[in-house]
Amino acid sequence: MGMFISKLFAQLFGDKEARILVLGLDNAGKTTILYRLQVGEVVATIPTVGFNVETVQYNNIKFQVWDLGGQTSIRPYWRCYFPNTQAVIYVVDSSDTDRMGTAKEEFHAILEEEELKDAVVLIYANKQDLPGALDDASVTEALNLHKIKNRQWAIFKTSAVKGEGLFEGLDWLSDTLKSRGR
Amino acid sequence: MSGHDSKYFTTTKKGEIHELKEELNSQYKDKKKDAVKKVIAAMTVGKDVSMLFTDVVNCMQTENLELKKLVYLYLINYAKSHPDLAILAVNTFVKDSQDPNPLIRALAVRTMGCIRVDKITEYLCDPLQRCLKDEDPYVRKTAAICVAKLHDINAELVEDRGFLEALKDMISDSNPMVVANAVAALAEIQEGSSKVIFEITNHTLFKLLAALNECTEWGQVFILDALSKYKAKDARDAENIVERVTPRLQHANCAVVLSAVKVILQQMELITSVDVVRNLCKKMAPPLVTLLSAEPEIQYVALRNINLIVQRRPSILAHEIKVFFCKYNDPIYVKMEKLEIMIKLASDRNIDQVLLEFKEYATEVDVDFVRKAVRAIGRCAIKLDRAAERCINVLLELIKIKVNYVVQEAIIVIKDIFRRYPNMYESIIATLCESLDTLDEPEAKASMIWIIGEYAERIDNADELLESFLESFPEEPAQVQLQLLTAAVKLFLKKPTEGPQQMIQVVLNNATQETDNPDLRDRAYVYWRLLSTDPEAAKDVVLAEKPTISDDSNMLDQSLLDDLLANIATLASVYHKPPDAFVSRTRPTQPRDDEEEFAEQDSGSGDTSAPVPDGAQVHGGYPGAGPSGPLPPPGGYGAPRGPSPPTGPPPAPAAAPAPAPAPPPPAPVPDLLGDLMGLDNALVPAGPVTPSAPAGPPLPVLLPAPAGQGLQISGQLMRRDGQVFYSLRFDNNTQMPLDGFMIQFNKNTFGLASAGPLQVPILQPGTSANTLLPMVLFQNVAPGPPNSILQVAVKNNQQPVWYFNDKIHLQALFVEDGQMERSTFLETWKSLPDSHEVSKDLPNAIVTNSEATLERLLKSNLFFIARRVLKDTNQEVLYLSGKVAPNVPFLVELTFLVGYPSVKCAVKTPSPEMAPLFFEAMESLLR
Repeated sequence: MGMFISKLFAQLFGDKEARILVLGLDNAGKTTILYRLQVGEVVATIPTVGFNVETVQYNNIKFQVWDLGGQTSIRPYWRCYFPNTQAVIYVVDSSDTDRMGTAKEEFHAILEEEELKDAVVLIYANKQDLPGALDDASVTEALNLHKIKNRQWAIFKTSAVKGEGLFEGLDWLSDTLKSRGR
Repeated sequence: MSGHDSKYFTTTKKGEIHELKEELNSQYKDKKKDAVKKVIAAMTVGKDVSMLFTDVVNCMQTENLELKKLVYLYLINYAKSHPDLAILAVNTFVKDSQDPNPLIRALAVRTMGCIRVDKITEYLCDPLQRCLKDEDPYVRKTAAICVAKLHDINAELVEDRGFLEALKDMISDSNPMVVANAVAALAEIQEGSSKVIFEITNHTLFKLLAALNECTEWGQVFILDALSKYKAKDARDAENIVERVTPRLQHANCAVVLSAVKVILQQMELITSVDVVRNLCKKMAPPLVTLLSAEPEIQYVALRNINLIVQRRPSILAHEIKVFFCKYNDPIYVKMEKLEIMIKLASDRNIDQVLLEFKEYATEVDVDFVRKAVRAIGRCAIKLDRAAERCINVLLELIKIKVNYVVQEAIIVIKDIFRRYPNMYESIIATLCESLDTLDEPEAKASMIWIIGEYAERIDNADELLESFLESFPEEPAQVQLQLLTAAVKLFLKKPTEGPQQMIQVVLNNATQETDNPDLRDRAYVYWRLLSTDPEAAKDVVLAEKPTISDDSNMLDQSLLDDLLANIATLASVYHKPPDAFVSRTRPTQPRDDEEEFAEQDSGSGDTSAPVPDGAQVHGGYPGAGPSGPLPPPGGYGAPRGPSPPTGPPPAPAAAPAPAPAPPPPAPVPDLLGDLMGLDNALVPAGPVTPSAPAGPPLPVLLPAPAGQGLQISGQLMRRDGQVFYSLRFDNNTQMPLDGFMIQFNKNTFGLASAGPLQVPILQPGTSANTLLPMVLFQNVAPGPPNSILQVAVKNNQQPVWYFNDKIHLQALFVEDGQMERSTFLETWKSLPDSHEVSKDLPNAIVTNSEATLERLLKSNLFFIARRVLKDTNQEVLYLSGKVAPNVPFLVELTFLVGYPSVKCAVKTPSPEMAPLFFEAMESLLR
């Protein structure tokens, strides 16, 4: 019995890594967010052709964060990464109002996926530092987030370059995952 | 099939692949690593694990170098089968190429170069560019090779991104391994390209020589191979290179040694100092000898290369023949090569030793080797005339052993020895005849028969011996039949007694009527006809002295040898074939017809290996007419025998001027354009400068510029490919562009008119245009006595109409079919009344060389009929024929003294009124 408990414990807070996908259109800031979370710095990035995967430890949870390239040519391959995913972080470039429609379509396509039906969803309304960026309410509106049913979700205003809002979102995520694990 | 059976297709067992998939996606790193190992294991034994592509790729980003290498291995194998998904790996490659660990940087760039997927290639360039300038030499040297790989996938990309320049810069790298790899990459790129990409300059030469001493053995091979392609400026330059390369001869790696030998051999060609060359030869011998103590496979490669080397420079190994003696346990392929080299190295000094060896080999058990050994003795005899007798003695000893195949082989080579040294060793024929009954191989039989025929007069019972072969004549192979035929003829010619006479009758009957072999039949007919018409001539032909033979079997053509020596230490030097004969790397821009050439070469060299004893000279293309009909008198046998042309002094005796070699009508080589015109009779496209513009003298000016208000017109009638053209040139010296050119001809003697519109482009001021206007004859013939005037009118849109006169040159009007048989010429000459003969002295004409003159006349369609020399005056007389369309023949007689001006020209024609025109033409042709 004692062994069982320790194993459970280890699964929740120890070796076990929560698998998290960072998705979003190209140039939304996914890679910048990943490395801001991992090393706490803004690194120079180039468009991701493929993926980045890093382990981020936060609030006693190890997140295995998969940052997938957002270019149109790569989006079809996102589905290869869906199995066993606990959470999706969907990053939106809040200043890119022209492509908000595309962002919405891609987002809802993800929500439809059978393999992601149990994943919680965290939306980062990124690039809040840029002038003309939509606030969280407007992004909620633009992405039709209120239509989401049977799924835990949250939206945070973030600025990856300034480091604002990211960890608040991660707090929510870790709390949500912990509560589910229990 | 009922619905229930569907259950057999759904299985609950998920299988190995599924298990692997789960493990690959495991959260535990060890499990993941084990899973990748399992995948690679499955891959290496040939199981298809390509469906795990994304799962494996997802393991790619890891700190674990071992795991990373495994994933890279997987990618190289399967990227081709998933070109789309392969793109998922790109980001990791890019990241890895910037990893702090140089091993990972190099690994990434190397792997990317191995993945031949277009979509990946474009992403490879940036990392490659970085890695070429990496601070770590290991990364740089890896990147250098990667450029060659990329060039193979996409040559344009490499050029556009300046990678070639980067590679060339790397030759100056501080690290010798980087230099070596840059050289290797450049050499590889050069091989696949028709452009000059990599050339060693003075500056790079120095760098390469410096790197040579420091880099690894394979790096040394790359550099040496590059050096062997370098063309040294002079002997000093070459000596300098050789001096720096010579220490490489001591290297333990055979590839380095052979490549060093290659460089030295190449550069030696330039070295003039005899001492230096002798010294180098001395230095090259020990390393080459050392190669022969390696494993048999390496020995074989070394021997094939040495075979080439001794053909070029026998002196290198002249004193080392002993190392090529075969050991009893050498594999057969090594023995055969050694024999070949022993023959090449055999000399008067070592022949006794060599013969002892050969004799030994001839008693071994391997039949092929024994045969080759016997042949070797024969080849030495042919090569070394002072040793021939000793060789023959060895052969006789071998014959006495009475081993069937040895005897047969010996007879074959003795035949060659007889051929090489006629009338010197026939005393041994008696010994040979003892073995007559044991011969069963065609070549041996044929050889023996040849010997009997050749020495029929010295062999008392030659007829009996041949008789014994003749019984089986119809069953013999063609080779033997041909020899029997020739030998029977020889016997008959040498001993024309009753026996041989009957024999020859039988043989000829057999060979002409009973056989299907055209070679045999034709040869028999030729002999038959020769014998029946002129036995003396037959003697001259059949018993003629034969040209000396030499041992050139297995000797390579000089240019091929050059080619192969430049490829020492490659497969080409082992195959003895030029590299392009068995591997084609060049892109399809190059024509592929070279393969056929090599095929021809091959068959050619095959022919030379079998020396044809004789009779080959009658093998030519004689017509295969029946033997009864006499040969038609051959073409130019003496001067015309019939009555000579009535004018001039009586003809000299027929035989005197010997057969006049009628100049072979030199097929005019029409250019492509001419061909096109001849084909469709279309007008020449008149560009500003047509390629048809006569390259020779400029056209005569018909309308000078002042008369034409700045427009100058030049032109001349000419003939090309059986058609008359008016070659015209328009020079616009006016201040305005001229267009809308048209041309019109007035009625003229020959009815010349244009066959199409004049095509001249808009002529800008200061420019000119050439054009060829096709002409027709007899369109608007002017009545009255013939004259040579051609009145021309030319107009354009800007100027008034211009009129000018041209002259019709008759030489443009002689037609191609004006040739006459000699007999026709004589008949025509006789049939025309004397009033139709006109003659004139052409004071300005001269013949300095009648052959050249005839050739020139032939080009203008004046055909040679006959030639003779007038004995009293030493003047030469030429008879020619020509024709002006449609049917005006000209029979011509030219009398002249070679080299002196003035030619007397007599012409006989149905239209003597044309004669003045003809004389004009002739005078201009003979100027």
